Amino acid sequence: MPDYDIEAVREKYIGFQTAKAQGRYPVEYDPIRRHCQMVEDTNPLFLDPKYAAGTEHGAVLCPPSGWLALYFASFGPWPAAFEPLFPIVPTPGKRIVNMSQEIEWSARIEVGDRLSVVRRIADVFQKGIAIDPAAVWIVAELEITNEDDEVVCVIRNTMLTHRTPEEVAAQA
Amino acid sequence: MMQRPQVAWDDVSVGDDLPEISLVINTRRLFLQASGSQDWYPVHFDAAFAQKAGHEGVFMNTGFVQAAIVRLLTDWMGDAGFLKRLRIEMRRQHRPGDTMLCRGRVTAKGERDGALWVNLEVWTENEREGVATPGEATVILPKRRATAD
Repeated sequence: MPDYDIEAVREKYIGFQTAKAQGRYPVEYDPIRRHCQMVEDTNPLFLDPKYAAGTEHGAVLCPPSGWLALYFASFGPWPAAFEPLFPIVPTPGKRIVNMSQEIEWSARIEVGDRLSVVRRIADVFQKGIAIDPAAVWIVAELEITNEDDEVVCVIRNTMLTHRTPEEVAAQA
Repeated sequence: MMQRPQVAWDDVSVGDDLPEISLVINTRRLFLQASGSQDWYPVHFDAAFAQKAGHEGVFMNTGFVQAAIVRLLTDWMGDAGFLKRLRIEMRRQHRPGDTMLCRGRVTAKGERDGALWVNLEVWTENEREGVATPGEATVILPKRRATAD
């Protein structure tokens, strides 16, 4: 394996925080509809403006998925509003697997909201897996806010990065 | 327009099971996943790419699994419910050919700072892997309205 100094990476990147990035578009109906369609979610609170207007919320809500909130805050627009995590933290392997996600909600999101995100690297550590003894794990915390600068949710995401078996064999 | 049924905190008991959700994982679902999650990482739709990384094949992404668990919870908690916290672990995979079941069970309930909370164990499973995505959630529910309202 090429030289990879996990301690140097930890020292440089843990605590690193991106500038606040705002999604290019507001929270919109159709991405919510597509999100619901993939899991056969027919909840009218997420899909039907007329129904939603008659509820205490008064507007179509975004399902409380951290993934979807992050989409509207950053990943939704193409090109992305900021570079994905990889260029921030160097790792020996470029393959990614999401291992866990925790979302703490403080407020609901509704159509028309403008979401922003700040991403912070909370931890980086090396822990081998069956196919790659040099796998690197990255824990990121993402704070998503709305147009009133109110925190709507905080996401804590743990990602595993690894090399392919071919790369492991070549670098052994 | 008719409002959806609303579960009240008073009517929830520890041990209650949530109505389960079943989703067939097939090629069509892979396309729906890419459209609905906007996750274009090829490990979720390109078998050769996935296998090169050491996986047996393509598998469903975190956005999809999370959406299914969120549906399980929001279907149950009603319009007035509030999902306060959700944690999921992507331990095993759902792949084409599987049927993904989403399930949940009430594990505790209480009151804190005026909020009526319910804790739940939530998970996805399939016949090939058993429990694939264990998780836990906290939901805030309204109190039952007095009948004299």
